[in-house]
Amino acid sequence: MTDPFDALRLPVTPVTPDPRFAERLRARLERALLEPRSTPMTTTTDQAALDVPLATLTPYLAVDDARGALDFYVEAFGARRRGEPIVMEDGRIGHAELAVGGSVLMLADEFPELGLLGPRARGGVSQSLRLQVADVDEAVRRAMQRGAALVRAVADYPHGRQGAVDDPFGHRWILASAPTAARPAEPEPVPGHGDVAYITHVVPDTAAARRFYGEVLGWRYAAGSAEDGWHIEGTAPMAGLGGGATRPEVQLCYQVDDLAEALRRVREQGGEAGEPAPRPYGLMADCVDNQGARFYLLQSS
Amino acid sequence: MAPDPGFALLELYDAALPQVYGYLLARCGRRELAEDLTAETFLAAVDATRRVPTPAVSVAWLVGVARHKLVDHWRRQEREQRGLRLASQDCPEHDDPWGAALDALRVEAVLAALGPHHRAALTLRYLDGLPVPQVAKHLRRTVHATEALLTRARAAFRHAYDTEEGPR
Repeated sequence: MTDPFDALRLPVTPVTPDPRFAERLRARLERALLEPRSTPMTTTTDQAALDVPLATLTPYLAVDDARGALDFYVEAFGARRRGEPIVMEDGRIGHAELAVGGSVLMLADEFPELGLLGPRARGGVSQSLRLQVADVDEAVRRAMQRGAALVRAVADYPHGRQGAVDDPFGHRWILASAPTAARPAEPEPVPGHGDVAYITHVVPDTAAARRFYGEVLGWRYAAGSAEDGWHIEGTAPMAGLGGGATRPEVQLCYQVDDLAEALRRVREQGGEAGEPAPRPYGLMADCVDNQGARFYLLQSS
Repeated sequence: MAPDPGFALLELYDAALPQVYGYLLARCGRRELAEDLTAETFLAAVDATRRVPTPAVSVAWLVGVARHKLVDHWRRQEREQRGLRLASQDCPEHDDPWGAALDALRVEAVLAALGPHHRAALTLRYLDGLPVPQVAKHLRRTVHATEALLTRARAAFRHAYDTEEGPR
């Protein structure tokens, strides 16, 4: 099926313009060709830059010197030109695109008549652009070499290494390293009711035990709150060493939701329940079960 | 030494000028505007010859530059007219067969009366015969949006063509 609109096809038919116009334009071209060349472009547009797809959100900057900004973003941030800028009749750049990594950045000269002004004309930035770079320190250095002003020195943050600069056109850039592979902080297992909250190894000689398990398991210790008590660092469940025992024993401390209720049940079931005693980490009571084994109950604060 | 593409452009000027001007005049219909856009085209071409990589200067390339200038012109016009355009200009879509042989003069008058966005889409797609993806690139729209625009532009054209009394 043919499209009736194909009938609109209009091949180029040469038309000789007004000879005075032709003469004037030739003279303008000659003058333009004799003018000193503008700074040669250091980077050219390439197909890869054109192939960068538009993301859902694309920044479109108003800058008070679009040509200078294009050069700056190419030189400082390694941007690649994406097609030819569109130059308006008055010489302003009406639209230009850069590919920066996997994103597109659009920019144009200021068009006050359309309400488009750069940050310098506005008296300051109203937003930051976060640019992810392989080498933050190098990117900040290059930007500053080309006239950017340091806003925040490069430093390490929990979310990665970054620094911030205001570029020569007043736009603020957060130059950041890729966040380290999303590794949510390992949640501390919180013991629930009935879980083992603490393990105490009671021994006759804590120095001997520390040496032995330090060598065998690599345990490190911190002095505990009790006399000759040692907290074993970084084990799960939490554990410690206590001295003064006649023979080595492992004592378990169980977490409970309601210590008073738990102690009542210990007694009810034929065990022995001590008095709840406040500790830095909660209320604790020592108990003996119905066969004589010692254990502790803890209601964490 | 490689020939200076700037001077290649100047050498080509006499041959290319009627082509560029003819292309523009037939599409924008006004002599002054065609002259302005022709001048813009050649001055942009001078700029382009100073860039790396230098373009292969040819008539076809210049007509391509002229096409960019024409689209830019319509884009400016569209921006100026936005808000002034009457809602009634947005015609309901109707895709019934429409096979009337087109009267060239009437086509010109109808195109001139359309909104710049419709005129740009129809010109690129039908007068220049560009495939839709290329039209989309010129208009900086997606292919999908361009197809939708073309549908509306065709409807607007038909409506105007059918109600147009013909050139006076």
